[in-house]
Amino acid sequence: MSASDFSRRGVLAAGLAATAAPRFAFASVPTDKRLVIVLLRGAMDGLSAVPAFGDRDYQAARNGIGTPPPGAGADAALDLNGFFGLSPALRGLHGRYARGELVVLHAIASPYRDRSHFDGQNLLENGSATPFGLADGWANRSLAALPEATRSGRKDLGIAIAPSMPLMMRGAAPVTSWSPSVLPAPSADLVARIRSMYEAGDPALARALVAAAEANGAAGPSARGDDAFAALMGAAARFMTSPDGPCLAMVESTGWDTHANQLGAFGVLSRNLAALDRGIDALAAGLGDRWRDTAVLVVTEFGRTVAMNGTRGTDHGTAGAAFLVGGAVKGGRVIADWPGLKPGDLHAGRDLKPTADLRSVMKAALVEHMGADPGLIERVVFPDSRAAPVLSGLFRG
Amino acid sequence: MSLLDAAIAANRFGLGARPGELRAIAGDPRGWLKAQIAPETAPPAPLAALPSTEAATGAFNRWLASIGLTPASASGLYDKRGGVAAMGGGAAMGAPGLPPGVSIEQSFARTLGPGYAQAVAARMDVAVSTERPYFERLVRFWGNHFTLSASKPNAFPIAGIFERDVVRPRCTGHFRDMLLASCKHPGMLIYLDNYISVGPNSVIARNPALLPPYLREILKGLNENLGREILELHTLGVRSGYTQADVTSLARIITGWMVRQREGPERMAGGGGDDASSMFIFRSAAHEPGAQTLLGRTYPQAGLAQGEAALGDLARHPATAHFIAGKLVRHFVADEPPPAAVERIAAVFRDTEGDLGAVATALVDLPEAWAPDQRKFKPPEDYITSALRAMGGRVPLTGPQLIALLGRMGQRPFYAPGPDGWADISGEWISPDAVWKRVEWADALAKGVADAKIAPALIAQEALGPTLTPATLHAITLAESPAQGLALFLTAPEFQRR
Repeated sequence: MSASDFSRRGVLAAGLAATAAPRFAFASVPTDKRLVIVLLRGAMDGLSAVPAFGDRDYQAARNGIGTPPPGAGADAALDLNGFFGLSPALRGLHGRYARGELVVLHAIASPYRDRSHFDGQNLLENGSATPFGLADGWANRSLAALPEATRSGRKDLGIAIAPSMPLMMRGAAPVTSWSPSVLPAPSADLVARIRSMYEAGDPALARALVAAAEANGAAGPSARGDDAFAALMGAAARFMTSPDGPCLAMVESTGWDTHANQLGAFGVLSRNLAALDRGIDALAAGLGDRWRDTAVLVVTEFGRTVAMNGTRGTDHGTAGAAFLVGGAVKGGRVIADWPGLKPGDLHAGRDLKPTADLRSVMKAALVEHMGADPGLIERVVFPDSRAAPVLSGLFRG
Repeated sequence: MSLLDAAIAANRFGLGARPGELRAIAGDPRGWLKAQIAPETAPPAPLAALPSTEAATGAFNRWLASIGLTPASASGLYDKRGGVAAMGGGAAMGAPGLPPGVSIEQSFARTLGPGYAQAVAARMDVAVSTERPYFERLVRFWGNHFTLSASKPNAFPIAGIFERDVVRPRCTGHFRDMLLASCKHPGMLIYLDNYISVGPNSVIARNPALLPPYLREILKGLNENLGREILELHTLGVRSGYTQADVTSLARIITGWMVRQREGPERMAGGGGDDASSMFIFRSAAHEPGAQTLLGRTYPQAGLAQGEAALGDLARHPATAHFIAGKLVRHFVADEPPPAAVERIAAVFRDTEGDLGAVATALVDLPEAWAPDQRKFKPPEDYITSALRAMGGRVPLTGPQLIALLGRMGQRPFYAPGPDGWADISGEWISPDAVWKRVEWADALAKGVADAKIAPALIAQEALGPTLTPATLHAITLAESPAQGLALFLTAPEFQRR
């Protein structure tokens, strides 16, 4: 970490302080809390991940091919509370629910109400109430609001486990990124020469190079093979348990846009969910004792149509499900103001109606779990989010 | 005579200079670019050697049959996710014809992987050796605009062929022709699910008993995917004012635009046409009958003509002109496209009803495109291409090597993450990990090729001309070895930007 990075962070913190209330103060004690944000790109079908089998309209609304109720065979839902269940691919999460580590949120959505993945993801990542409403990401902006941000000499607080920097993590706060590699590491001498070349004329490349060199020291060996998502989550755990490692990580998963043939044990969606489940296990295993202080927030840009389409898939919808899991989570609960599945209950006549705002959960994770400054969260991280107050009581504290 | 303009032409509009190229084009860099805006008489030999769409699709169907699957039982394969290895996601997917100990992913990779690797290598061969790099950039741009991602297994064998057959012949022709060719190509129809989309009041939907049982499972109703992406990604652009009703309407208009298979188990219901050169078929039995309204205009036509009329109107819509002009200026000029430049390009698009040759010429004539400051960062594919060109083609990379390399850099060939294609702004590509992967590769490449005879400073000057900064030249000169000097050139800011 270069001296210029320290001073840059100092300037950033000062700038934010100026916009905060006059008697603003960060908590002074560094936190051991960890937050992992998992973004499922492509729009997860919430009614398959978390089937509302107890809703008497559920099967009819899904054209008779919704997830069967618990006990009805290998494809049947795993019971949560007699009304909601989990996809049978989410066995690990089912166990965590029983152990009080999982909160399931349903009928929840970002403020986005159209059906473009790209706009929906952009809004979810930028943290404003409109696509392209802000040019950087809410997770990046949140870093300056964390207690950790004031500790001098602190390394990058955030990491994206991705080969390119996702919008959610882009912004003024220095963050790093990492993905698995196979080539031998270049010599320290070559890296130093390239670094001085960049520092002379290209600050953006210089920042990226310095961050990458540090990340590669911390990554350790990477798992390879076909369980790519679990390997990424395992790597996130290694970064977050290294000394002065990041306290916020973002991990991406793609391929959730299940327009066709999503059903059944071998369907696209079941395999995605199983990979997500194994990924959370890998993260928990890698974090060890630190899991106790960790929350994982699993979100997607929007839900999918309530009815299955003509090709045994689902089209772009509105509200869906989200997961909050971890040792720091006060779990074993489904939180949903259930809107119902009768035709008249649906948003625009086709989608699950949103009754909760994802930003309420994101804000809660930052404020009540990570100890972020609530004023900054309201003004800088999630501006225009008054309609989505912090959802309290989600964490053991 | 301008070496600076030559360097801008070769790097910003082209794929990086080969040794000697800057001097050769310095007399008239703009003329050199404009001379490339013409259709080719035939695709270059490496691309011509790739199979036809029909042969590639047949290979996929034969593979399915060989492991004992039908399209219906293999439904879990129909996935848009990244990579052959991701197909099973680690879950055991049973296929009765698989040899013991062989996973479905391994079987897929062994049978169909070589065709993919051939397409990847052919595309790079052409790009590294071409004397028409601006034309190749236009191919890459339009290939990305009409993304067909190989991440979906049944589209996998077709991705490289789609670019050759749909994009190359039309990227200096009329936009409407490319749009129609894309919407009628089996690859696009499969990738965005239209080949199984059936009008809710069509003959098939009303009489499912006409179908064999496995097709009854597949052909059940409307799928909006292609209709939506045509509006959002191919023509008008998102937030241009169309509604969900327009999406549904266009999806209905193009029901029946399907794929005819002459062999294999995926043969569709109903008779096929006789045209062996095309797998596109309009099946009136799947088409939603009646007039449709799209963007306030009614399309009373019957059959195929309805979709052709609607797509023709979308192709010449002012929103389409503006959307495409914005993308082109962002691609060739700056991440934040100057509005005046976008308006000039949009005007040419509108005035010529989408003559892409005229549009490509107008791009060369934009004063904003010749500003010396570099405002674009090469994506991995163009970065590797330009490095291989700078090396004068002396570094051969095989298809599998390119796939692994570009995959690590975040741009596995033909594997865009979604139908919106690869990102086209620097922030998406300048991440610590991506920059590091380039350093690793530059180091490995340089160690592999450098010997006492190599002259990195000369290579850098040949590739960058006056855009090579004194600081970078100094660093290269001071390098401890020719290999290190070469690695410094390949990682230099002015070589990674354009």
